Amino acid sequence: MSEIVNIQGLQKCFGKFRALSDVSFTVNAGEVVGFIGPNGAGKSTTIRILLGIINRESGNAEIFGKDVWKDSLEIHKRISYVPGDVTLWGNLTGGEIIDLFLKLHGGGDKQKRDALIKRFELDPKKKAKGYSKGNRQKVGLIAALSVDSDLYIFDEPTSGLDPLMEAIFQEEVEKIKKSGKSILLSSHILSEVERLADKVVIIRQGEIVESGSLNELRHLTRSAITIATERDVAEMANLNGVFDFKQKDNLATFSADNKHLDDILMQASKLGVKKFESVPPTLEDLFMRHYEG
Amino acid sequence: MKEKFARWDTLFLLYLKRDWKKITIWILGIGLFSAAYVPAFEEIAKGKGLLGMYETLQNPAMIAMVGPTPVETARDYTLGAMYAHEMLLFCGVVAMVITVLHVISHTRKEEDLGLTELVRSFQIGRQANSLAAMMETVFINVLLALFIGGVMMSFGADSISVEGSFLFGASIGMAGIIGAVIALVMAQVMPVSSAATGSTLGIIGLLYIIRAGTDVSNVNLSMINPLGWTYLTYPFTENNWTLLIFAFIFSLIMVVIAFALEGSRDMGAGYLPEREGRGNAKKSLLSVRGLFIKINKGVMIGWSIAFVLMGAAYGSIYGDMQTFLESNEVMKQMFSSSGVSIEESFTSTIMMVMLGLVSILPIAIVNKLFAQENRSLLSQIYATKVTRIQLFWTSIGLAIFASLVGILLAAGSLGGTAISAMGDSSTMDTLDFLAAGYNFLPSVLFFTGLAALALGWAPKLGKVVYVYLGYSFVINYFGGILELPEWFSKTAIQSWIPRMPMENFDALIFITITVISIALMVIGYLGYSRRDMIEGA
Repeated sequence: MSEIVNIQGLQKCFGKFRALSDVSFTVNAGEVVGFIGPNGAGKSTTIRILLGIINRESGNAEIFGKDVWKDSLEIHKRISYVPGDVTLWGNLTGGEIIDLFLKLHGGGDKQKRDALIKRFELDPKKKAKGYSKGNRQKVGLIAALSVDSDLYIFDEPTSGLDPLMEAIFQEEVEKIKKSGKSILLSSHILSEVERLADKVVIIRQGEIVESGSLNELRHLTRSAITIATERDVAEMANLNGVFDFKQKDNLATFSADNKHLDDILMQASKLGVKKFESVPPTLEDLFMRHYEG
Repeated sequence: MKEKFARWDTLFLLYLKRDWKKITIWILGIGLFSAAYVPAFEEIAKGKGLLGMYETLQNPAMIAMVGPTPVETARDYTLGAMYAHEMLLFCGVVAMVITVLHVISHTRKEEDLGLTELVRSFQIGRQANSLAAMMETVFINVLLALFIGGVMMSFGADSISVEGSFLFGASIGMAGIIGAVIALVMAQVMPVSSAATGSTLGIIGLLYIIRAGTDVSNVNLSMINPLGWTYLTYPFTENNWTLLIFAFIFSLIMVVIAFALEGSRDMGAGYLPEREGRGNAKKSLLSVRGLFIKINKGVMIGWSIAFVLMGAAYGSIYGDMQTFLESNEVMKQMFSSSGVSIEESFTSTIMMVMLGLVSILPIAIVNKLFAQENRSLLSQIYATKVTRIQLFWTSIGLAIFASLVGILLAAGSLGGTAISAMGDSSTMDTLDFLAAGYNFLPSVLFFTGLAALALGWAPKLGKVVYVYLGYSFVINYFGGILELPEWFSKTAIQSWIPRMPMENFDALIFITITVISIALMVIGYLGYSRRDMIEGA
């Protein structure tokens, strides 16, 4: 797999504030990478560096094997971008702005544009100052989705969209993904990332704290287990790899290290299992683990 | 009543608390600017100073700029008379403009930003905000009036009487209030705050220009001009307080109109309807140039109209000049001995004033690029194949284009009207006017260059260019009146340029300033091409 985005040891300060201290990750061809982290962690700063809007202090950042600052124009021909807070010229209509963006990007599919306007239920004749946050976001999305790019960068793209529109966005992203394009998706909405992303990169205070496929990440953490047995379940509590053990009669809930799962099952089977449920950690659990611990 | 204005007093106190720093700077700034030059004027008045000044200010160009005096002979022209004559109109207009910006930013702007929506969700009357903002503004202007009166009186100069001092202050305060009420009405009529600000400043500009015409032709006509109710109070000479009563009644009526208009419109709406837009963009919009033209169209058209009106208003004065000369022996001698006609002298002065205003437009266009950057409007455009070269030089190009057109309109309209007003006695042709106008092109380019420099290296300082323009304008405006030292007046860029048609064209200076200006733009570009874009900071 060839690398579409390659970031190594990225650093950036704003005055005395250290926005990025060590950011490294890659996005491969045909991959959807979820980029998650709380507000102020450095997601947008990283994306702005990728777009050549601001320059890095040190480290390397390449898209399509080209330097994001020096060769930004070559790169920009083949990417699409939607910021998290789309701001628009109040005296232009949504339709005019979409056309402008398509033209400045170069190319763009008129039919696709019209189809997307319909799907997202945008009124293109309205002046942009009359748009709500969600409608402004739609303008940005339609403009980005109507052009044919090799890399799509979305910075919290669905903020302000209602759940129906969010679902439409996700469907559109899946279409792009199927056609083999790469996507860097920064988002707060973890269910969205969970649904779309092949790989997750978690950033905290300007540093990448975790990256890998969702499965890999899950493996590092614990599953939530519910078990009901015929005999007394209490002795499960003392096993290696069992945490947060709670018991009510013969029903117990606990979280289990995945690597000790085998021992746990062996022990449980001696007690006469009536019910056994294992829920893998959600992305939210993963996320929280990094920010609470 | 309660429904409308409930708890306006709470808001009023909140605003005072919120704005106290601004209010302090405002009152000290305008107050000292208006009142503290008494010692400087005492210097001017020494010896034959008053006499000379009286004659200088009889020149129609000067009357068009600073207004008339009721004094009929040079002997009665006291220090107080001179001070009020030269300072009152200008200070009144400054107070007015500041007040307009304040009122709109606290009413319509807050509405646009969505603050009003939040405030109205509390137990606060629908119009309490407007009332509170208005009361705050009146309060500030009353303080300003008292402050000016107090400061002037404290110099204890001859002929600067206590009554005159407070009338002088009150006239400036009243000018502020008149500005405030016009702004409040426009804030209701216009669909957005920028349009309200623009139209109010436009109205003030128009009133100023109309009074320039009527002051020269027939001062009584200036009495029906709201602006006339401020500077025609003639402090220290006639002390005509009645005009302030007119102004007060006018303000009251305007406030009632504004509140009625506000009461019957929806929040966020105006009275000028908004049209439905296009679903698809016109071809002309689809480029960086097209976009920038579209974005700047409003301000370019607005200023273009202002330039034409300004030129026409000043131009119409030319017809009265010869008549005026006939009636004034001293002036007639002055002009015949210098070998320069009164029309030429007037042209060179007015051209400098007009070109100062023409310079605002290119600065605004260049600053607009950073304003857009800062509001993250360009985020999605940075991610396309559009280069920084394109963004920067398209803005500069548009600014230069606007300068060229602005000069053409201002000088052409002045010349056209002047020539038709003078009829057969015309001593100048259109080309003379255009040459006098384009002679100042380097100064306009210089301001554009400064704005470009700021855009590239310290974009937040873009507004400082206006401050320098204002400074240069004041130096030039008062340069003819006050005897400024050479080095001091040369700190204004226009002072380097000879005043055509009174003086001869200087190609060396023209080229030098042009080259410096272009160099500033190039240096600005070097900064722009490598700095971080500043979004939402």
